[in-house]
Amino acid sequence: MRKRKLNEVKTAVSEMFELPKDIMLNLPRISMIGNNQMLVENHRGVIEYTPQKIRLNSTIGVIRVEGQDMDLKNIAAEDIMITGVIKLVEF
Amino acid sequence: MKLWNYIVGYLVIKVDGLSLEKFINLTISNGIFLWGIKRSGYTTMTACISISGFKKLKGIARKVRCRVRIVDKRGLPFLLVRLRHRKMLLVGLTAFLIILYVLSSFIWIVDVEGNVKVPEDKLLNALAKYGIRPGAFKKGLDISAIENRLVIDMPDIWWVSIQLKGTRAIVKVVEAAQPPPMVDKDTPCNIVASKDGIIHEMVVLEGQPMVKEGDTVKKGQLLVSGVVEDPETLATRFVHAMAQITARTWYEGEAVCSLDEGLTRRTGRKVVHKFIDMGRWVVEYQKGDIPFKYYEVEEKKVPFFGEGRFFPVTMIVREYYEVEKLSASASLQDLKEIAQKKAMEDVNKKIPSNAKIVDKRVKYDMIEGKEIKATVYVEVLENIAQEQKITVE
Repeated sequence: MRKRKLNEVKTAVSEMFELPKDIMLNLPRISMIGNNQMLVENHRGVIEYTPQKIRLNSTIGVIRVEGQDMDLKNIAAEDIMITGVIKLVEF
Repeated sequence: MKLWNYIVGYLVIKVDGLSLEKFINLTISNGIFLWGIKRSGYTTMTACISISGFKKLKGIARKVRCRVRIVDKRGLPFLLVRLRHRKMLLVGLTAFLIILYVLSSFIWIVDVEGNVKVPEDKLLNALAKYGIRPGAFKKGLDISAIENRLVIDMPDIWWVSIQLKGTRAIVKVVEAAQPPPMVDKDTPCNIVASKDGIIHEMVVLEGQPMVKEGDTVKKGQLLVSGVVEDPETLATRFVHAMAQITARTWYEGEAVCSLDEGLTRRTGRKVVHKFIDMGRWVVEYQKGDIPFKYYEVEEKKVPFFGEGRFFPVTMIVREYYEVEKLSASASLQDLKEIAQKKAMEDVNKKIPSNAKIVDKRVKYDMIEGKEIKATVYVEVLENIAQEQKITVE
């Protein structure tokens, strides 16, 4: 209950001051280049990785990516970069 | 980033185990950077890792029960370790760099641009005298002093610029402009026709015109008189007549082509042979059989370092063109063309370079059924004014 209220306040504040929400609300920031590169910042670890299917943990739940010949090009504590043919992204 | 990884060196590892995701998560949370992760099967994957990261990996691997093996070592440090056992290679590399540096501090090519009247040899000799020649050391050359000296030494050159670009010295020259020849206005003279023709345009600057536009004139005929009579006082005055007289003139050229000589035509197929001529040795580096029955040969020589330069290396390109022989009857039209071309060449030799061609006609004659004679009549516009001194009695 309390956490939800805090989130609502944070959303209102970030709207009011036009602050980026990914920092205020601790959300993952996902940027894609075409269908062959995807950068997920602020993730919470890899749940599953196969060349056809990748599942990442994040604050808003599991992000599921499906495609072909996918590699994890870079992995660091905060961000992860997926390359390959991406066909589907699901939350 | 990639370049940095290469410089510090990295390892390609193969991880075997059931919980590979856990392995990835644990390495990340321990602050070890992984990249280029590729899963090749259900239980195996390859990844790249830094050398320091690999050292911390042991504990993690034990925890998640994975087996880690090194597949490849990449980067500069590993390359250097390998090179340590091959000292001569390093010696050769340094020797190469030193030789390259030493050779690049000499002038190997001297290029002269902009000279028209002054012969290149003379300029090159003068440059060599002050130290700009192939094989000269670049350091210690006072370029601006040499430029000044050259201008002083050679009165027919007004300006010199010497640029050293790599091993090439580019010498740009501006020649002294010759003053136009003085018109000797004191000697009276007439203008006469140098050729037969019909006058097309007359521009008389000085003197009394004796003919008008459209007149037919003969060679030697008086066109502009230097003897001017004042219409009022009737006093006679001698002037130096000056005029530009453009006239239509005709030139004629002819050529004969025999029907007997088998006419050939290139089919478009060719074979190229290349040789490298190094004075004493000739190296063939492109040679094949000539699959043609009849062919013509053209040879071209391409010097590698310019004509007569430091290294006498020339590339010889020999081109073999396939030709087919044409029968006499089929080739009549071709023969006419060839005869006409030859006739044009003949007439072009006679036409002065400043003349403008206005009209052209070609006539063909058969001579006793054996030869074709082409006659070309060319009408040109040219200046026919010629000065002629007046001798006053």
